[in-house]
Amino acid sequence: MYRVRFHGRGGQGARVASKVLGTAAFLDGYYAQDFPLYGAERRGAPVAASTRISEDPIMERGVIPEPDIVIVMDETLLQDPLTMPLSGLKPGGIVLINTTHSPAEAKAVYKITAQVITLDITKIGLDMLGMPILSTLAGGVAARIVGLSEDSLKAAVEKVLSEIITDRKLLDKNVAAALYCFNAITPAKIELKTIDTNKKKSTVISLPFEPAEISSPAINATGNTPLRMTGNWRVFRPAWNYEACTRCMICVARCPDGCILVNEDGYPYTDYDNCKGCLICVGECPTNTLGKVMEVHAKKVTG
Amino acid sequence: MAGNGAIEGDGGKGVKDMGVERIKSIKGIPPEENVLPGTPACAGCGGLLALRHCMKALGQKIVIVNAAGCFTLLTIYPYTPFKNSWLYTAMACAPAGAQGIRDALDILIKKGRLDPDEDLKVVVLTGDGAAYDMSLSSTSGAINRNLDFYYICYDNEAYGNTGVQWSGATPFASKTGTTPPGMIRPMGAELVKKDLFAIWGSHKPPYLATISPAHPVDLINKFKKAEQYNGPKLFIALSPCPPGWGIDTSYTVKLAKLAVDTGVWALKEAVSGDLKHTVVPKRFKPVEEYLQVQGRFAHLFKPVRQEAALNKIQEGVNEYWNRHKLLL
Repeated sequence: MYRVRFHGRGGQGARVASKVLGTAAFLDGYYAQDFPLYGAERRGAPVAASTRISEDPIMERGVIPEPDIVIVMDETLLQDPLTMPLSGLKPGGIVLINTTHSPAEAKAVYKITAQVITLDITKIGLDMLGMPILSTLAGGVAARIVGLSEDSLKAAVEKVLSEIITDRKLLDKNVAAALYCFNAITPAKIELKTIDTNKKKSTVISLPFEPAEISSPAINATGNTPLRMTGNWRVFRPAWNYEACTRCMICVARCPDGCILVNEDGYPYTDYDNCKGCLICVGECPTNTLGKVMEVHAKKVTG
Repeated sequence: MAGNGAIEGDGGKGVKDMGVERIKSIKGIPPEENVLPGTPACAGCGGLLALRHCMKALGQKIVIVNAAGCFTLLTIYPYTPFKNSWLYTAMACAPAGAQGIRDALDILIKKGRLDPDEDLKVVVLTGDGAAYDMSLSSTSGAINRNLDFYYICYDNEAYGNTGVQWSGATPFASKTGTTPPGMIRPMGAELVKKDLFAIWGSHKPPYLATISPAHPVDLINKFKKAEQYNGPKLFIALSPCPPGWGIDTSYTVKLAKLAVDTGVWALKEAVSGDLKHTVVPKRFKPVEEYLQVQGRFAHLFKPVRQEAALNKIQEGVNEYWNRHKLLL
């Protein structure tokens, strides 16, 4: 059995990617399961989805703690301590990273021991679809790694997307992009050294009964959410060019998260630690002060 | 007790002070942030933008009673974006929770255990699922008892937190998880949106308003005006929802503006039943402009244009503004 886990950001299409892979596997005659990790499925927030593929009926249920293949659809997630996309990846497993790095660079930068394949899926998405929605593209890549056929992938993309979108042109673009990604990588062979068994001794921790003032989740701090640093949600970041800024304060009034602050001279600036990258400010700016830059590129410049 | 509907010398209107300072432009918005960043709300959340301005207007001396919904996730242990106290209740009973807190504050003040200067405003925060459907009865009770509280509904026109299902606030022809357009109902949602403003209005509360995250000046002035009145002060904020409405995160404010400019969302207030429209577009844009940019209405345009449904929506808007003699 292959266990594949997709990590992406809400809105990028991790859930649909897992469905494309599952459907393609089913069309190729395998048993398949695909499902998202339910929780806060928020736009921009880290999300996960999983697919199981097997020649025999699948009796396993629930999340995949030890995947054979991990698809990282957003590079910034690799450094997110709350997500840890590579956790539980089996030795000899494969990780695909959506990045501009080469596999060797990615291995070094992120200290990965597993086999790494890299592909700049975001660029392909922007070029071929005109938007950074990577569902079918990641599905296509995963289908190649697992070893499914091109025909099944094509049929799977058609089937899954026709349930979601009515735009035939967009659907055809997606099919083309999925096939492009399918053929863009050289798949590695999964070299699993351990025996495939998920049976572990269950450990039950018994919790003592505590009175309500201890056991109930009361928060005695005020205003501490900035510690969560939602800045890693961004795909694009707002970038400033102060020559045009008139200090009109429109961007400050439009930011849902209150991430645009004002300095002593009255000029607004972005709190990049927490800005989620919704880009409302870029659209609302009446001058050319605000533009957008892709996050991975901005990181390379600023370090 | 002051908060419990005691009729005062002013004939029950409960006017505290007539002098209202209004802000004139975006530059007049109070600078202090009372909702801090880092919340788990979606990028580009329209409701959060509305809440941010509401909280600027309300200040820090408040208690929030939050009915279950998207915004209960703002405060997840051990984090909170608020500088004030916050209580979580089930969907149906936030106004009951507000009654308990209002009573406790009143009793503490009466007994001399709380300085009247330390009094807090009680604010109910709820989504449209709770406001339009589940907590209608407890809200009706609280308004009827003339409970002195603020009630803010961030209305994204569906049960957004559970993945966008139909709610009483969902407009006609909207696509949600439970109203998919199909062979039998090609238009999606069949029913029209409830008129919560009218439902509340029939209880004759002292202050009642609709607000929009794209009109923060209007929003803040409404809170300033409401401050004068004792009793229920109710606010509905139409809150564009990127995942629920199928829009890009950067479109939230544009959509909120379009809702007002097309006449879909009427910005109005009612002081003791006297209705007044606060923002009336000089020329109404066609409703189609608002509909066609949203994924939840895409089925009205593709693959086949659903003329009947589109006409019904436009006629509904025209009928509203004609009724109020404001359609020019």
